[in-house]
Amino acid sequence: MKRSYIPVLILCAFLMMSIVFTQYMVHQYYFENYVTTLIFCGLNLLLFPAALYVYRKGVKTDA
Amino acid sequence: MSKRNNNIPFDQDNYTHNIDRNNERKLDRRGFMKTLVGAAGVFAVSSLPWGAVAAKELMGLGEKEYPNKKITDVSKIAIGDSVDFKFPGDHDDAILIRLSESKYVAYQNACTHLRCPVFWEKEDGEMICPCHHGKFDVNTGVPTAGPPRRPLPEIQVKVENGTVFAVKVKRYEA
Repeated sequence: MKRSYIPVLILCAFLMMSIVFTQYMVHQYYFENYVTTLIFCGLNLLLFPAALYVYRKGVKTDA
Repeated sequence: MSKRNNNIPFDQDNYTHNIDRNNERKLDRRGFMKTLVGAAGVFAVSSLPWGAVAAKELMGLGEKEYPNKKITDVSKIAIGDSVDFKFPGDHDDAILIRLSESKYVAYQNACTHLRCPVFWEKEDGEMICPCHHGKFDVNTGVPTAGPPRRPLPEIQVKVENGTVFAVKVKRYEA
């Protein structure tokens, strides 16, 4: 069984990005920059399927 | 172990045969990645309402014109005093401060840090939030000290026939 920790690191980075985007989104909402809010909402939504994809890939390699 | 599986009835005096204590709470690499993906999912879902309200504002649904609301009479508020009122909704606390004979300023007084009410300190000439000692400049609503980082939303006021009216909440000029 050969494990790769690269997917773990990528997922950590993704989660960090999720946190940063969420924080930024909330602040931009209160600053009334609604387009920026929408952009970061979209990025957050994209991060989840991307994370799922990385997880699937990571699980397959250690089977 | 394998003998017990599908071998009913097994030893009835052993009630913990299916508990593998040694590995029960082990967090392996796969489990950790699962947690990370789940957390990313939670963040994605939680950003949905923000996107929804932002889209609503963008489509102009949030730009309602509120009817002018009477705050107080000019004769009832001395120079340097403040009056609390609600604008534009019944639950949006706001404060009106008379700075001079003809200069009035009004802000929604929920502190931009954690929404505590902001009070006008006449002696110090500044607006203060008692929760975490956030201070705001009275002329502009810009935070000058403490945790808040965003100015208080300003309310446009007008004076007509000796009465002070709230007209609308000004938008931020970013």
